[in-house]
Amino acid sequence: MKNILIAFILLASSQAFAQSKYSIRGTVEDKKNGETVIGATVYLEGTNIGAMTNEYGFFSLTAPEGTYQLVISYLGYAETRTEVILNSNQTLNFEISESRTALEEVVITAEESERINIREPQMGVTKLKAETIKQMPAVLGEVDLIKSIQMLPGVTQNGEGSAGFNVRGGAADQNLVLLDEAIIYNTSHFFGFFSVFNPDAIKDIKLYKGDMPSKFGGRVSSVLDVRQKDGNSKNFGMTGGIGVISSRLTAEGPLFSKKGSFLVAGRSSYAHLFTPAIEEVKDDKISFYDLNLKANYEINDNNRVYLSGYFGRDIFNISNFIENNYGNFSGNLRWNHVFNDKLFSNLSLIYSKYDYQVVLDFVKLDWIADIQNQHLKYDFGYYASDKLKLDFGVSGIYYRLNPGEVRPTSDDSPINYLKLDQKRALETGAYISAEHKLTDKLTARYGLRYSAFSRMGGQNIANYVDGRPVVYNENLGIYEEGEIVDETFYEKSESIKNFGNLEPRLGLAYQLNNNASVKASYTRSAQYLHLLSNTSSVTPLDVWTPSGPYADPQLSNQYSVGYYRKFNDNTFSLEVEAYYKNVENRIDYVDGSDLIGTNTIETEILSGEARAYGLEVLLRKNKGKFTGWLAYTLSKSEQRTPGGDAGGPGINDGKWYNTPFDRTHDFSLTGSYKLSDKWTFSTNLVFQTGRPVTYPNGQYEYEDLSIASYSLRNEDRLPAYHRLDLSAIYRPNSKKDRRWQGEWVFGIYNVYNRRNAATISFNQNTETGQNESTRLSIFGIIPSITYNFKF
Amino acid sequence: MKALIKFSLIAMGIILVSCEDPISVDLNDAPPRLVVEASLDWEKGTSGNNQTIKLTTSTPYFDTEIINDVLGASVRVTNTNTQQVFIFQDQNNGLYTTSSFVPRRNDPYRLEIQYNGETYTATETLTPVTEILEVSQSLEGGFDDELLDVSIFFQDPDEEGNYYLMRFIEEGDQFPVLETESDEFSNGNLIDEFFEKDGDAGTQEEEFQVGDTVTISLYGISEQYFNYIDLLIEQYDSGGDPFATTPARIRGNCINTSNPDNYAHGYFRVTEVDVVSYTFE
Repeated sequence: MKNILIAFILLASSQAFAQSKYSIRGTVEDKKNGETVIGATVYLEGTNIGAMTNEYGFFSLTAPEGTYQLVISYLGYAETRTEVILNSNQTLNFEISESRTALEEVVITAEESERINIREPQMGVTKLKAETIKQMPAVLGEVDLIKSIQMLPGVTQNGEGSAGFNVRGGAADQNLVLLDEAIIYNTSHFFGFFSVFNPDAIKDIKLYKGDMPSKFGGRVSSVLDVRQKDGNSKNFGMTGGIGVISSRLTAEGPLFSKKGSFLVAGRSSYAHLFTPAIEEVKDDKISFYDLNLKANYEINDNNRVYLSGYFGRDIFNISNFIENNYGNFSGNLRWNHVFNDKLFSNLSLIYSKYDYQVVLDFVKLDWIADIQNQHLKYDFGYYASDKLKLDFGVSGIYYRLNPGEVRPTSDDSPINYLKLDQKRALETGAYISAEHKLTDKLTARYGLRYSAFSRMGGQNIANYVDGRPVVYNENLGIYEEGEIVDETFYEKSESIKNFGNLEPRLGLAYQLNNNASVKASYTRSAQYLHLLSNTSSVTPLDVWTPSGPYADPQLSNQYSVGYYRKFNDNTFSLEVEAYYKNVENRIDYVDGSDLIGTNTIETEILSGEARAYGLEVLLRKNKGKFTGWLAYTLSKSEQRTPGGDAGGPGINDGKWYNTPFDRTHDFSLTGSYKLSDKWTFSTNLVFQTGRPVTYPNGQYEYEDLSIASYSLRNEDRLPAYHRLDLSAIYRPNSKKDRRWQGEWVFGIYNVYNRRNAATISFNQNTETGQNESTRLSIFGIIPSITYNFKF
Repeated sequence: MKALIKFSLIAMGIILVSCEDPISVDLNDAPPRLVVEASLDWEKGTSGNNQTIKLTTSTPYFDTEIINDVLGASVRVTNTNTQQVFIFQDQNNGLYTTSSFVPRRNDPYRLEIQYNGETYTATETLTPVTEILEVSQSLEGGFDDELLDVSIFFQDPDEEGNYYLMRFIEEGDQFPVLETESDEFSNGNLIDEFFEKDGDAGTQEEEFQVGDTVTISLYGISEQYFNYIDLLIEQYDSGGDPFATTPARIRGNCINTSNPDNYAHGYFRVTEVDVVSYTFE
């Protein structure tokens, strides 16, 4: 590791000091509100020298002495040109403004930074701005980040009302979801109907579908990097909205005589929405709320601190009979420090927690569980030369998982107090990555991440006969819990098991001409935390489990190639990517497993492998009155779980079976048409192959009931999923200078009222005794209206 | 207990759900298998001499006219402690009976069936059960405070690892309601279990009325049978709930020793059962 670092620095130095060169560094901000701009291109006209602003709006360029036109471009914003006489290192901060021409004004709303970057080796990444997401039609008018990214190629959902999202055939727990760098363990409100991200507090999102930069680790499928707004540093302002489900209010403004800014955003549902004035459910309370906080202070040109936080909660109370609440909490303190013109750094101290509670009044039981982590990371960006940029850093995450604590709620409760073992783990990582312009046409990104994971003591670990937590019962043909011999207690200071993995990441981009390029990449990543679920939908009760003596980390290799092309002066762009990935040590539950409240989850699971491959096509229209995209994915995702040490053939007789995330075809169209200054219309059209499920293949009578016998796992499929949504945005006053700006959003979700099956269940009708199949569909046609305002 | 936790999610799921409708689905049909319903249940206070084993075959899922009684099989049960053998007589209607069975608590029994030239066997131990101490009715015990419910109370023994099956059936009903319980969360405590009918459409008839009579059986069952029947009930009950466990194959304890792949559905259980009858007042 150390040698590699030295080699990198030597390489960098040899590049840096070869000629007499100077650097320009600075930040790019939005003139209107002082928000730093992520992903703006800063370049010297007539040269190949350029850079993109990072997550904090920072850039650094190095060029030979001379006079240049420095150009800053960011789609939707007017191009800024400044003459720069480069004869010394200098700091230049820029402010850019949105384009003002009436037509272009809306154009921007869509696909600006989402334009493809022909030159960068980064593949499989999609950026969306909050504005784009806000414009897409949404169910009940609730703008939803998670639902929006499902319109992109390679991203699917597991049915309406299921939490999370699936990337390239991966499970929801294989996505690293970061909100201002804090890990978000559950992205859903209302069990997945809505997401936890308040669109008014979000600045920018990036989804990495596989070609992960080296600075990210810990998940094998994707990284969703969500950044909150910093808050308006020029003027105090408020934004808000009143919708069918929830209302939002955001306040932002300058702090410390414009040396800083703050943002406070709140969102809350209407408690009685799902419990209308129906006598039977009048005592039911179902609600959610979110609170986003952000503040920053610029100490001087070289130092800036940020504080951000998120708190969200879901509350269900059904007639004081069943109570369930859950939510995420995160806080983050960051310090940006610029060491010199070429070296940028960020130190982050992050805390996140997800917890849930179930109170069952009728059995006098109170169940609580949580997962929390403290995370310290230090990241550096070294702009070594016009040809080389280095990123490196270290990170350490300390996890504590409380899988469950059961308490009796009264003296006469039949329940005994029970606390499942608390689990602890330390995940550390170090990385270095270079983006290197090898020739005018060829750019490479190569990096290496080393991750280590220690499962820490402070708990008992069960030892099994022959070391086998799961044993195949040859006679009955089923997997059973292994027999425990004894337990070993590990002190808190001891580690139970250690893992370490080298994760090389490699990307190449070859520019064919000004408008086209080809790219290839390879990513290896390791995942040490697993989310176990044996239900059709991810539930808040699902159990996070760290790797340990009986569960190895998941390891994935992903290979991808792509072709990128712009047409008609970037009016259209085309991206075609093909990928293949495999995941080792993907665990799956055995038939009939019981995951709730067990201390020895290893007795319910087997380890196997997963693989996925596919072809993704994304055609975008970036400019004009009509903007939008068309996405198509052809893919396959399957897994195999042999018996291994447990013996026997394994799950599904050891054969490959579809993962629940397999979708052969996935087509989506998102479009937006600006009719006039007052009216904008948008649409979504989605078609997806049905989700793999398991159907009955017979019935038999037992205990006077008709019992279904089932076929092999995921052998059948639900009917195809498709729907069309429409929305219209009406802005009554188009005068920009008026302080109060309002807009009405009218939406119709699922216009032709397609009854998409969330599940199909097979049951015996207890009146007639007949077996029946019943489709459960969640959202039929749903109109909505939302009023948004800003002042 | 776990079933109740899962149920809580189901209840929330249902509140969120908007629409259910029948849909026709083409299913693959598996070839028929032997179905063994060998439930040797020894009711407290009886000799337990009379026992019946029912043999049928499985059919396609949506078949309604079912002729699947198994005739001509030979069925016998052996107490493998005492080596006493009980022959079950073919009644030519799928039922095989004996009137000489001798139940002994905690003794192992072995079932042997000859059918179609193949031999099926299963073993099980007679699991004793604690008695039902009290039966009472209330409004508050169940899910809905305005509906009548009936509860049974029983004392879980001190040692861990007791498993129960409860069967509730109202006089005149065609189908029983089955529930399981283990002492995983409540070892050594006084346990109460309630039974309430919600009167919702699609389920059998009305909520309980004064004068209705319910028969409640509390079975002591083995851990392995608990795993089996718990899963079976969960799959039977999971009506369209998106949080329900993905259904899977369920294997009972009847092994085909001649042709292992042609295993039988059903189970050979040997239990002690306490039965009470209650009329709402």
